[in-house]
Amino acid sequence: MARSVWKGPFVDGYLLNKAETSRASGRNEIIKIWSRRSTILPQFVGLTFGVYNGHKFLPVQVSENMVGHKFGEFSPTRTFTGHSADKKAKRG
Amino acid sequence: MARIAGVNIPTNKRVTISLRYIYGIGPTNAQEICDKLGIPAERRVNQLSDDEVLKIREMIDRDYRVEGDLRREVAMNIKRLMDLGCYRGLRHRRGLPVHGQRTHTNARTRKGKAVAIAGKKKVTK
Repeated sequence: MARSVWKGPFVDGYLLNKAETSRASGRNEIIKIWSRRSTILPQFVGLTFGVYNGHKFLPVQVSENMVGHKFGEFSPTRTFTGHSADKKAKRG
Repeated sequence: MARIAGVNIPTNKRVTISLRYIYGIGPTNAQEICDKLGIPAERRVNQLSDDEVLKIREMIDRDYRVEGDLRREVAMNIKRLMDLGCYRGLRHRRGLPVHGQRTHTNARTRKGKAVAIAGKKKVTK
């Protein structure tokens, strides 16, 4: 079920501060974050975040289309181990 | 034979049933169209007057997204996810289930028919 609209999008508060300071500093450096559960807001567009996947901080350049998704969606936590033979089966 | 929304030629079935042959019109929409136009449910397509057929055609053109347009929209939505590089997009790319289902077993609709792994010996008793 979708989240109630009256609550607004969920974001961990400190992200807003981090984004603000990085914007102010002007340098385009990667902002390391652990908060995979936070929604990507319009004010994050253009910034680069390093989203932790339990192992590394994967760089995510936020574009306009990403608004409304969560940070975690862009930083896969699992390594895909498939069989190479599967390739034939998928695209025939 | 009535052509509604381009290619569709529903047969001598009830209107509510035959409208569902159009991609994008299911039970609910078909019922809604009939109710709005005041066509009784028992009426069959071959008993419709030309005027009624025209009305249905107009209504679908105006209020519903069907066939090619709808297919394109769905494809665009999937393409958006794939280009974005988000988890759901990756699942679409790999041809695996997108909504968190298990893939240890099952998931055959997405994965296609099972392929035997070369060199795997069967246990024989």
